[in-house]
Amino acid sequence: MLLLAPLLIPLVTALLTAVLPAHPRLRRGLSLAGVLLLLGAALALLVAVGPAGRLSVALGDWPLPFAIQFVADGLSAALVLVAALLGLTVLLYQFATEPANREAPGLQPLVQGLLAAVVAVFLAADLFNLYVWFELLLMATLGLLLLGGRPWQAEAALKYFALSMLGTLLMLAAVGLIYGASGQLNFGALAVASQAPGVAPGLTLFVVMLLLAVLLKAGAFPLFAWLPASYHTLSPPLLALVGGLLTKVAIYVMLRLSGQVFSATPAFLYEALGWLAMLTLVTGVLGAAYHWDLRRILAFHIVSQIGYLLLGIALATPAGAAGTAFFLIHNILVKANLFLLAGLIWLSAGHPDLRRIGGLYLARPWLALLFLLNAFSLVGVPPSSGFWGKFLLVQEAFAQQRFLWGGLALGVGLLTLYSMSKIWLEGFWKPHPDPTRLAGSQPQGDGGPRLAYAAVTFSTLLVLALGLYPQPLIDWLQQATAGYWAGFGPA
Amino acid sequence: MSMTLTLAVLLPFLGAAGVAWGSRLGRPTAILLALLVVLMPAILILSLLDPLVAGETHLEHFAWLPAAGLNIAFRLDGLGLLFAGLILGIGALVILYARYYLAAEDNLGRLYAYLLLFMGAMLGVVLSENLIQMLMFWELTSLSSFLLIGYWRQREDARTGARMALAVTGAGGLALLGGILLLGRMTGSYDLSIVLASGDLIRAHPLYVPTLLLILLGIFTKSAQFPFHFWLPHAMAAPTPVSSYLHSATMVKAGVFLLARLFPALAGTWEWNHLVAGFGMLTLITGAVIALFQHDLKGLLAYSTISHLGLITVLFGIGTPLAAVAGIFHIINHATFKAGLFMAAGIIDHETGTRDMRRINGLWRAMPYTGTLAMVAASAMAGVPLFNGFLSKEMFFGEAVGVANAMALGWLLPVAATLAGAFAVAYSLRFVHDVFFNGEPVDLPRHPHEPPRWMRVPVEILVVICLLVGMLPALTVEPILHLAVSAVLQGPPPVHDLAIWHGFSPAVLMSILAMSGGVIIYSVRKPIYGWWDTQGGRVDFRRAYERLLQGLLTLAGRVTLWLDQGSMPRLLRLFVAVALILGLAGWWGSGSPLTGPLTLLPLDAVSLSTGLALVLAAIATLVWHRQRFTALILVGAVGLMVALVFAKFSAPDLALTQLSVEVVTVILLLLALFFLPQTTPEDPPSPRRWGDAVLAVLAGLGMSILTWAILTRPYESIAGFFLERSVPGGGGRNVVNVILVDFRGFDTLGEITVLALAGLAIFALLDKLRLSGQRVAGPATAWHWDRHPLIVASLVRLLLPLALLVAVFILMRGHNLPGGGFIAGLITAIALIMLYLANGVAWTHARLPDKTHPVIGAGLLLATLTGLASLLFGHPFLTSTFGHVHWPLVGEFEVASAMLFDLGVWLVVVGSTLLILIHLGLMSDASRDGLAPGTPVRGSGAGRSAGDSPPGPGC
Repeated sequence: MLLLAPLLIPLVTALLTAVLPAHPRLRRGLSLAGVLLLLGAALALLVAVGPAGRLSVALGDWPLPFAIQFVADGLSAALVLVAALLGLTVLLYQFATEPANREAPGLQPLVQGLLAAVVAVFLAADLFNLYVWFELLLMATLGLLLLGGRPWQAEAALKYFALSMLGTLLMLAAVGLIYGASGQLNFGALAVASQAPGVAPGLTLFVVMLLLAVLLKAGAFPLFAWLPASYHTLSPPLLALVGGLLTKVAIYVMLRLSGQVFSATPAFLYEALGWLAMLTLVTGVLGAAYHWDLRRILAFHIVSQIGYLLLGIALATPAGAAGTAFFLIHNILVKANLFLLAGLIWLSAGHPDLRRIGGLYLARPWLALLFLLNAFSLVGVPPSSGFWGKFLLVQEAFAQQRFLWGGLALGVGLLTLYSMSKIWLEGFWKPHPDPTRLAGSQPQGDGGPRLAYAAVTFSTLLVLALGLYPQPLIDWLQQATAGYWAGFGPA
Repeated sequence: MSMTLTLAVLLPFLGAAGVAWGSRLGRPTAILLALLVVLMPAILILSLLDPLVAGETHLEHFAWLPAAGLNIAFRLDGLGLLFAGLILGIGALVILYARYYLAAEDNLGRLYAYLLLFMGAMLGVVLSENLIQMLMFWELTSLSSFLLIGYWRQREDARTGARMALAVTGAGGLALLGGILLLGRMTGSYDLSIVLASGDLIRAHPLYVPTLLLILLGIFTKSAQFPFHFWLPHAMAAPTPVSSYLHSATMVKAGVFLLARLFPALAGTWEWNHLVAGFGMLTLITGAVIALFQHDLKGLLAYSTISHLGLITVLFGIGTPLAAVAGIFHIINHATFKAGLFMAAGIIDHETGTRDMRRINGLWRAMPYTGTLAMVAASAMAGVPLFNGFLSKEMFFGEAVGVANAMALGWLLPVAATLAGAFAVAYSLRFVHDVFFNGEPVDLPRHPHEPPRWMRVPVEILVVICLLVGMLPALTVEPILHLAVSAVLQGPPPVHDLAIWHGFSPAVLMSILAMSGGVIIYSVRKPIYGWWDTQGGRVDFRRAYERLLQGLLTLAGRVTLWLDQGSMPRLLRLFVAVALILGLAGWWGSGSPLTGPLTLLPLDAVSLSTGLALVLAAIATLVWHRQRFTALILVGAVGLMVALVFAKFSAPDLALTQLSVEVVTVILLLLALFFLPQTTPEDPPSPRRWGDAVLAVLAGLGMSILTWAILTRPYESIAGFFLERSVPGGGGRNVVNVILVDFRGFDTLGEITVLALAGLAIFALLDKLRLSGQRVAGPATAWHWDRHPLIVASLVRLLLPLALLVAVFILMRGHNLPGGGFIAGLITAIALIMLYLANGVAWTHARLPDKTHPVIGAGLLLATLTGLASLLFGHPFLTSTFGHVHWPLVGEFEVASAMLFDLGVWLVVVGSTLLILIHLGLMSDASRDGLAPGTPVRGSGAGRSAGDSPPGPGC
């Protein structure tokens, strides 16, 4: 039950909030209660699993590998907790910035649905079941994109849906083909089958298709266009939720599938993945350098950061996996924080375009500090969480004699620094071109500005702690990923 | 475990926050607090002095990230002590000075906070034992100097200068990190004690050269070495106290500090000598020459700083122990006189309101005391005997001569040194002569007079040091020099003699040449200035940097716009192309044959004709795709063919599902079509369309090949288990249904959640959307004048109970015979939709709710609760049970808990499908207006009513 609670709690919450459309406050209360419960369940799961442990449940009590299996290990339990924490932050921020009676009735159920899907992807150990949760993820995101029903939202949603749906279809086809070739869906059974002499070579092609679908979901080069085309239409809290989780979930799946399930994948695929990672790194950060809209800058940074994550997977070692995992957690939190801060910048200065704002350094010193801390972390200034992520990845790249990859990963940091300093110089230091707009605007929601700031501050403290004392998490993740690329453990 | 050093480094960081807060209580509190924060680390470090003098290196270790070979580790040796002394000593003076320099409206507390932050970072750099940790503080110096340089944030030049410094030093920091990571790989440790002891190993390693290059990149950018020197003059936008701190004793000295620090590990190779000395020499000359032509006081000092940093770099590049002594010695001297000069420049700026030397003249009368101080410091800068600068410069000349014979092109060095020396004399002369003499001041914004007493004190102290060291070097500077050099060389320092007069030597000759040359250059300055101005910065590395940045941004724009032009077809094309390429690569790389070993079944007429019909229907769709209505019907036909295929291969459940899904989908699309143009605009034929066609065919072919590959392989899967266990384990004879609601009920739970969310999402989209159909449509689209024919309406009302009965029947029997919740749900939805279609929205609306949320919710809840119920009996989620009940009249009847689950599925399917369909219909104005059913549309013929009173989409 411990294993299913993190999925069922948001699922039931989604349900309840959907059926009570007429009571906005009740809906919010339920949603908050749901997230708090989820947080508790995630903590309990984390404690029960431990860094190197493993909890498994066969649904319907059928024997494995026939039943659908849910598995929590150190990595997935940690990620579930991160998702819950992010959910809480986002929810509080949402309460603070939008009055309950103006909130779209679909928002809370969709948010909870998204959380449920994310948690389920972290825990599913069955290929088809995984696909189902990806579908849920797609649908929830689509719903969030559509909330409000403005024309530009519809355009963004269409782009997201068309491209993402293609990925989903390809994934379904790949799942079917893999099932056809191996006769298995369970991760453990697939891991065994994929190393069987008769099956393995035939499987590679299908695994490539599966990975391609996941790459699209992750926003890797050259398939990331759906991301900057759609993300910027979301409201800041939803952007933080979607931007923080969506692509990262795909990366997690990639890591798990390549490291634990199809670990016998031939080396040339990893070589290709590594170069894709480099292209993703560079094109993403170039996009960020090009844009002036805060939301677009940050959206392109998502792409760029995906490059780092893919790099860790391409290295295909336990250390690379640990680096990716650490980077993943860091990135979810920091990215979400930056999106939330972008929302506060927008609220405080009146526009998301950097050319039209300024002066926040004096007007909102606390905002400045929060932004600076998170920006440093994204850039990877030591000792921030981002630095450790990069450090682990680059160190491992060098250890694998991948000097070019490691070097490029470092060099891209400079462009990240450039675009973060652009936000700082334009948004904070430069005087506001129209100081009257800087005056009084503050979040207009129920909790008021304090709640929004409190939510971001809380999340920033997490990032800070991760940077100043990364040892426990790194240690935890190294234990959790110790068996990667060494076959799936006993069921 | 001692943590004195750790505390000493951390205190300024804590202090920064404290001072920022305490400055609310006024400037005196701020300055007291700040000085206190400087004093405490100084006391802590001094408490460790005794063992240090005895030759021990003080180390402190704390576990931090042992897994990555990283500990918090600090070290105090002679070099660290020397730098800590400079950092804290000059820091204290700068704090005192800034109090008087800063205008009342500037926030002193914030400046102090940044300064202390920077001070802590610098202390961290010089006292770190662990190289990664050193790098952290190194980066922190870049960031805190960014904040300091941009202190006057409202000024454009301050922002640009700050960003330029950050970009250049940040790039260097990244290179340095790369270099350190490589060092760590070579030596197996990031601890200095180990790295410094493994010099031979490092120099012999194949990665030595890249490592050296990366580390030097870090050092050269930080220490403003040619060609990265351009950021430093722009950093002069900072308040003068900041400049005097950053560019004398700290920031830029971090680079040369690292040269000294890693000297035992890296120095002594051909590459080191040539790279370090070479770039140092270029910097030395460039800085010295350009300095003379600066009209800005601080600009002159900035370029002079660059030149002196080059001098120090050259000394470390020469690489002899004596050169190292000279290098360290010059670090001390330069720090003192340059800090003094910057402060003097700040006083002049503060008193006159300008820094332009073409306007500031003849200040001697107004400020004789400041003038004297400036003259002493400038003399030290010029290398005049009896001042400290002379001693180290003399040693430098001596070393330069030594190199002349040792290296190829070595003769260049003494020549360059003399030339740079001459220019140093010239610009020092200019600093003194132009400012304090040379006629009358020109149009000064303020009337100059001597500054407040305490603003002068820091300069006085520094000048006294310059004199004392210059005259009594052995008594004053020798002990600390001895300690520092021992640390740099990791051994006893060479014999050296800090005397003013060593007897005649080439160095003395060079000094004399430089002195006289400098005077000559200054005396002919006018024509030289003119010549310089015509040259107009021919070699401007700032412009190169800007062009680089601009180029990068242009590239960024090009790449971004090329990748995403906002065009959907292009993105889809890209995706399909990538899929094809990766697919090909995957096939090629795996080397597995595409056809499996299975023999093919004989071809039968049914399969052949269904297959052909499928292909024909698909091609027809393509041909008529512009007629949307036709295309839709044809797509429906494709779906029906697929249902036939399912039926042919004995999958009645799939066939039923496919059938009902097809019906619902076509209705749905019909509704949507009502709001859209009835034809697709024609694309002009173009090569791209042919490309698309090829791509599409290839993609279809690829998918077919993959399917072929699977179908021709032997199929052994977990399906056998399901077949076996369906009746005994799941209590149902319909395996498909048992799989759906039991074996893999969890998937179904996920899928109905997806469906429910899809319903909600579409509801969210449509709820507020109002469209009048046909507004965009052509005349052919008034679908029919009689929207709700009476016969159809009556018939549907009659049919409804029957249809519902069928649905319930299909739901109930699903567990054993083809059917189940999903199919039943679709049938129910179709039946209800018929009601809408036949009777109109207004009529149906009065009898049925349009919001089916509760139905969806109840369905999901039921499914979830069924799953949870098994927990009560101690089984995992979704464990099913079944039993047999005797039902009068009907007979033996099987009841499975999974059927409840199926009921949930049914509810969700009904609710979601209806929600979507109804709201698609409600979107139209006509439906909303609640026109009475059967009202004929005016004009009663197809076509003529277009645009007037649009009918609903059949509702």
